[in-house]
Amino acid sequence: MMDKSIKELHELLINKKVTSDELVKEALQKSHEVEDKYNAFVTILDDAKGTMVTDNLLSGIPYGIKDNYSTKGILTTGSSNTLKDYIPFFTATAVENLEKCGAVPVNKTALDEFGMGGTGTTCHTGDVLNPWNKKRMCGGSSAGSACAVASGVYPYALGSDTGDSIRKPAAYCGIVGYKPTYGLISRYGLFPFASSLDHCGVLTRCVEDAAIVVDAMKGKDAKDLTSFDSSNMHLYNSLNGNVKGKKLFYIKEIVDSSNYANIDPLLKEHLDNYFKTLDNLKVLGVSIEEVSIDKTLLQAIPSVYVCLSCAEATSNMSNLTGIIFGPRGNGNNVMEMIKDHRTKGFSPLIKRRFVIGSYILQKENQEKYFVNAQRVRRLIVDKMKELFAKYDGLILPVGTGPAPYIDGSVNHISNNDTSIIEEHLQIGNFGGFPSITIPNGFINDLPVGINITGNCYDDENILNIAYALEGTMNYKGQVAKENNNE
Amino acid sequence: MSKFTKEMVDSYADKLLIGLTEEENKLVLNEFDIIDQNMELITKIPNISNVPPMTHTLDDFTYELRNDECTPSISIEDALANSDSTEGRQIKVPNVVEVTKQ
Repeated sequence: MMDKSIKELHELLINKKVTSDELVKEALQKSHEVEDKYNAFVTILDDAKGTMVTDNLLSGIPYGIKDNYSTKGILTTGSSNTLKDYIPFFTATAVENLEKCGAVPVNKTALDEFGMGGTGTTCHTGDVLNPWNKKRMCGGSSAGSACAVASGVYPYALGSDTGDSIRKPAAYCGIVGYKPTYGLISRYGLFPFASSLDHCGVLTRCVEDAAIVVDAMKGKDAKDLTSFDSSNMHLYNSLNGNVKGKKLFYIKEIVDSSNYANIDPLLKEHLDNYFKTLDNLKVLGVSIEEVSIDKTLLQAIPSVYVCLSCAEATSNMSNLTGIIFGPRGNGNNVMEMIKDHRTKGFSPLIKRRFVIGSYILQKENQEKYFVNAQRVRRLIVDKMKELFAKYDGLILPVGTGPAPYIDGSVNHISNNDTSIIEEHLQIGNFGGFPSITIPNGFINDLPVGINITGNCYDDENILNIAYALEGTMNYKGQVAKENNNE
Repeated sequence: MSKFTKEMVDSYADKLLIGLTEEENKLVLNEFDIIDQNMELITKIPNISNVPPMTHTLDDFTYELRNDECTPSISIEDALANSDSTEGRQIKVPNVVEVTKQ
């Protein structure tokens, strides 16, 4: 039953073919199965109960919450040992908005520690395994959410996205990942990682569900002054599949095979598959043009991201002292206690990011790295806005192909020629642009994704283009089929 | 030869009140040259000194003043619930002001 879409489940509930309690029971049972197989959760809420079914599409339907959304009275760890026993006394606004609709949370999903990773292998509860193939990663940081939705635990789970943390795991798990315009969903109660880049969003198995859920999560919130009034934006009602006359572009320096010396056959296949999918859109009346962007600017994207995110994170995480919350450290004075707490609590990979942040913020590096990164961010965003004035959106493949192996995973920093295609989704965070990944078929029996990004506040248009494209392929609503034959 | 040393890495971590094991220090130190080279890519973009740094995501962001209204705040019990060491209505820590002998 839980492999169905929100609308299908709602129909069944309204027509009394199933009760909310039965759905919750099934989602909890599936949660335990998925936990045993793929290690996707920090907490399973075994005492969750069904709610009253109303006209609201989300009423009575189970869902998952990434464990960096604060939930009153429910353990919320950010997948970090520094908060392994932390129980918030308030609930994130986005979760509260879903509660008002009658949605039922059934678990808290694992993430890369505080969202600071792209592999799903730095959670304090261990690696999250990919439900298509257990040797592969889910990607991160919304690893548990992606794993659970792809496994058919429920139709949707919340994610957060600072670099590509919703949209990359969605691709690796063969589902939909949508990060709306910055400020559409309040960030109040979301653990901050890099506030100028952090977004709330959702992972689903179809575009329609993503629209339904974000319609419910969004809204201006007095507790987050960066949120805006979107009462005139109706995502679900805007989906009509009519995209005739729309204009998209792609960036030559990212998708042209000639950019890659000795191109990996998998990347070649990924790019060929991507171009084939563009033809589907052309049949629908969408025009797609190639655009060239200065490669030096594109190459700086990952560095700008590392610079800004690590620097902002050092500041945001300075409240993790173990004094007012978190396990108390040992020491003869407060400073020693804080240092002991932080030394023991953070994992090696997050410490690396903090060291980079500290280096960037050294007096002698601030102008050279931090302020210049903010300048380059503006150049990249300005370039994109110039293009969005002419085009409805940017369409690109996600990453270099399917999910990498967990063993020997990319938990190290590289500077090879695939860094732009691997990291280009960060553009969406720099500009706060709405951005959605949908499944785009398979390579070596593993899912790959395609992404559409548009201008701020143009979420309705971007979702509608994704909805139309989804309709030309057979991956809508797909649930992972485990295949470990390799 | 790397321009970074073990001591430099420890000092960056120490400023954030984070201690590194030998292994953790090595993990960062081994990659610091690549990290630094990547950062250098930012400085390769020409003529950026006049570009205003982008510190906020949306250009049309406006600050709004909230009405100065008293709203409910958390209870003392809630505030203390997540601390490992409390006494009465307070969070307990060792002396913050250290006494030194003259």
